[in-house]
Amino acid sequence: MISPDSAAELRAEKRFDLVAAILIGAIAVLAALLAVIQIGASQAATRADLEAARLASDLSARISASQMATDSSFGAQQTAIVLGLESVARQLAGLENNDATSTAVGAAQQSAYQKLTAALTATSETSGGAPVDLYTAGLLGATTQQLLTELAEQNHQVDVAAAASTHEQRAVLGLSLLALAGVLTGLAAVLREGRGGRISLTAACAMAAFAGAMAAWALI
Amino acid sequence: MGARVPRIVPRIDFAATPRRRYIDAVTAPEPSRGSQMSGEILEAAASEVEGIVVSEVIVGDHEPSPERGRGGVAVLLTVAAVVAAVIGFRAAIISSSASDSWQSALRTEVKRSASATEDVRYLYQTELPLAFQIIQARIVQGEMLAAAQGQTGAAKQGLLIEAGIQAQIISGISSSSDLATKPEYALTSGGLDLGQRLADLRAEQPAMVALDPDGLEAAGDKLANKAEVLSLALIPTSVAAFLGVLSQPFRRRRVLLLRLGTVALAGGAAMALIVEVLA
Repeated sequence: MISPDSAAELRAEKRFDLVAAILIGAIAVLAALLAVIQIGASQAATRADLEAARLASDLSARISASQMATDSSFGAQQTAIVLGLESVARQLAGLENNDATSTAVGAAQQSAYQKLTAALTATSETSGGAPVDLYTAGLLGATTQQLLTELAEQNHQVDVAAAASTHEQRAVLGLSLLALAGVLTGLAAVLREGRGGRISLTAACAMAAFAGAMAAWALI
Repeated sequence: MGARVPRIVPRIDFAATPRRRYIDAVTAPEPSRGSQMSGEILEAAASEVEGIVVSEVIVGDHEPSPERGRGGVAVLLTVAAVVAAVIGFRAAIISSSASDSWQSALRTEVKRSASATEDVRYLYQTELPLAFQIIQARIVQGEMLAAAQGQTGAAKQGLLIEAGIQAQIISGISSSSDLATKPEYALTSGGLDLGQRLADLRAEQPAMVALDPDGLEAAGDKLANKAEVLSLALIPTSVAAFLGVLSQPFRRRRVLLLRLGTVALAGGAAMALIVEVLA
């Protein structure tokens, strides 16, 4: 004997099963999609983070090495200039005091100053030259423009890491919502057609929809 | 085997008219059991209920059994779950290897830059100032001696004394400076070949010169790309699961959905295998 209530129940149960099945399938597809997004975003964030750290290390080494070479060159030139000043001072003192020795020593120092300057210039020109390996030569020969370019790239990598990390967080949030949707679907399957089951299934649909929105947001 | 037995199942529907009944067929070779009722019973039941149309239809050749293909659904879902788990596991492992390579690239970069910076520091801050002192002393000494040649008396004496002072300085510190004393670093202009000296310093630790963080990073990039492509195989696998689940309520399309699901699953598995082998 089939009563109208029984007939309605049969239909509702079929609809309930259909919704539950579609929901489970959608959860499976969304989980795969979010997993792909999460893996990609996670890798992009990790790579950009480490690339930024590498560039920071390289920048530090370049600044340090090129600064040492520049400082050394300036220091040597200062020494040579002091020798030149001393030569002039000796010659002046020799002339003022009618001291031929001071004048002769000053003149010799003047000549030495010119030769020393030439020697220091030649020395500086070999800095970072062959046969030094390319990496070390690059450290020594870094120009301010190169450093600024590398700094801009380092900042860019930090931004890329932050953006990828945000995408990863959205994907993880989507996966968490999907897990919740899965649990609610399971609960609905246990409770079956009824108030509790319908509420669970509706909530599961809502969670899956949020997860879908998260997947779309993570792709942006 | 015997002839196929048509089954009789009830079909229940609300009628537009308040009371109406008819029987499509009652020719069942044997009475059905459980929820399947004979035409007489249904007719009696329907006559007592307002607004219900009850009909019996012979559906043995048209309506698929609820049990038909259930085993296929279970197998498809199980295999899809296993394949998805394997793909996810492999993708995670490969992704982890990519991260390891990138981490190694960073560590290698730090090690390489520290090594190179230390060699540069040693040359420019430890060796070079001393070598400059020696060069300066040599040049000044040479100029003093040269000037003394053209002088006489006190001036010559003074120049020789000054040259002697520089000679003392040179002999005092020369033993401490390979850079200033080894002929391979001497330039014809009197300067020093810093490139050659730095190359020799670096060559003392060839392992540090051979460090290649770029190669490690490229290896990490390759692995990351492999993990990403491999993870894409999860999508057809999940589509297979979706079709498998859908085949449960859609009985009429169950076989078709199961076949499509199997194709999707095979595609996902094949994609994963190809990536695993070739990438």
